Amino acid sequence: MATLKLTALEKTYPNGHRALHGIDLEIDDGEMVVVVGPSGCGKSTLLRCLAGLETISSGELAIAGQRVNELEPAARDIAMVFQNYALYPHMSVADNMGYALKNRGVPKPERRRRVAETASLLGLEALLERKPGQLSGGQRQRVAMGRAIVREPRVFLFDEPLSNLDAALRVQMRLEIRRLQKRLGITSVYVTHDQVEAMTLADRLVIMNGGRIEQVGTPLELYARPRTRFVAGFIGSPAMNFLEARVKDGEIIVGDGSVLAPAADIQGSIAVGIRPEHLRVVDAGEADLTARVEMLEPLGADTLAYCRVSGLSLPLVIRLDGGAALAEGQTLAVKLPLSRLHLFDLDSGERLPWHSPETSIV
Amino acid sequence: MRYRRPALDWLSHGLLLLCVVAFCLPVWMALTASTHTQTALYTGTAPLWFGGEGLSNFIGVLTAPMDRLGASAARLLWNSTVMALGIAVGKIAISILAAYAIVFFRFPLRRTCFWLIFITLMLPIEVRIMPTYKVAADLNLLNSYIGLILPLIASATATFLFRQFYLTVPNELLEAARVDGAGPWRFLRDILLPLSKTNIAALFVIMFLYGWNQYLWPLLITTDDHYLTTVVSLKRISAASDELIPWQEVMATTLLAMLPPVAVIVVLQRFFVKGLVDSEK
Repeated sequence: MATLKLTALEKTYPNGHRALHGIDLEIDDGEMVVVVGPSGCGKSTLLRCLAGLETISSGELAIAGQRVNELEPAARDIAMVFQNYALYPHMSVADNMGYALKNRGVPKPERRRRVAETASLLGLEALLERKPGQLSGGQRQRVAMGRAIVREPRVFLFDEPLSNLDAALRVQMRLEIRRLQKRLGITSVYVTHDQVEAMTLADRLVIMNGGRIEQVGTPLELYARPRTRFVAGFIGSPAMNFLEARVKDGEIIVGDGSVLAPAADIQGSIAVGIRPEHLRVVDAGEADLTARVEMLEPLGADTLAYCRVSGLSLPLVIRLDGGAALAEGQTLAVKLPLSRLHLFDLDSGERLPWHSPETSIV
Repeated sequence: MRYRRPALDWLSHGLLLLCVVAFCLPVWMALTASTHTQTALYTGTAPLWFGGEGLSNFIGVLTAPMDRLGASAARLLWNSTVMALGIAVGKIAISILAAYAIVFFRFPLRRTCFWLIFITLMLPIEVRIMPTYKVAADLNLLNSYIGLILPLIASATATFLFRQFYLTVPNELLEAARVDGAGPWRFLRDILLPLSKTNIAALFVIMFLYGWNQYLWPLLITTDDHYLTTVVSLKRISAASDELIPWQEVMATTLLAMLPPVAVIVVLQRFFVKGLVDSEK
């Protein structure tokens, strides 16, 4: 168990590609940090730098206050769960789990005891003599976890460990990973591209884009106050709507000219973000926008309505109650609650400081 | 074949049987000839059935030094086995290490090294026999097992085969091993070697046969009958100019010479199939 500290961590590949542009991050003891981002954002590189599988070009990585840049993976006392599990195909489950202990010179009786303990923690007792080839995907995943746990490392690293599983199993394993991590209290870094996985697992989320950290925070912080348009679009499913808007004479104007709200100190073109679940369908009199339903996606509990609003290039997605009577081609009167609006600069994508009149009045 | 045609079945089976006979007849003739006396073989037609001297012929060639050879068949078989085993094991060991270095280590001129090894395919022993002989002579390797084995021990084919196999080993396996604290030596021993079991078995069969069947090199480098190999000796005992060839001895030695390769194939083929069925990769 340990803290993790990354200071101005950079990675430049020999071919000149710069994968990480100065990452600063502190991870507390026992914390579960999930690194999430689109493919190519550098999240896997970051994890591999932590593991010691990639060299760090500059900056410092410290585990428990001790610089480990130059240490071999095994010497860093970390354990890693790989995307494709990377189990040794010719070894039994027990040997797979005990291999790291064997390499460290742990005597056989203790090795056997620790493997048995971990196996019972994960429900693998019956499978110890099998080879990985004889296991199902979920079982292999569990063995890969077991191989990491049995070493009692200071840090767990997870590299998209659930992406090879089917949807139902993924949900189940997600819960199990969370439960185990809480119970063992081992500092963990978890990399994924799946934002639902990220939201549900994380104590804190790290959103990466283009080799940089966009924002760090708890899942709900990120959901409520995304610092950039990128984060806003990445967190939440279905993704946030962005409406082109301009500020004229101190008022935000959307689409064909509907006035949304006053905005005192903002100028020019902006993007107004609002989540599908925050849009409200109201009587025609109160409406900010009129939207024509183009397509419906009934999900049971909810229905997603993809609507066309005149003057807006992108469709507007509205999340409605599953019981609502809707038809394609229907028009909806939509209200945008001011307290739920996020304003972003169109060029930089940065969040614009803006206090909605609704909250400021209250 | 999707549809049945009895005539076609008969024809194909007939052809297959013909091939079987064509392959087996020489062996059968050798087997029967080895059980006759020399006189019986030189009077009358070639016998296709067993004679009465089987056991004594075999015991004779195995125990006593043969005419013109100064070595018994037991000696010949031993020499051939040592040479074939040495070549097979040596080739496999060297090519595993070479392929391991080429695939898993980053060093300058790695690619060049690979291609240098690869083009030695164009330099079999027959092409480089003079310089190789000179080197072996300078190193005092004439008339020794090392001299028989060492010049034949490098194999571009085997290196290439192992390289191709290692390239298919997922990178994560290497990384998992590194995280688990396995250094290069342990990774090779604990992970790579067990995974290449089937390849090793297959190569061993091929290389053992290659070593067993060597003729030109042993002929050149050994002059002492103590190091005479089976294949070389067969030519010598059957090439007499002024006396009768002891065909019964030639045939008995030939049959004995077939046994070790056959044994290697039979034993390792099981391994082979097991490796294929298990499909551990």
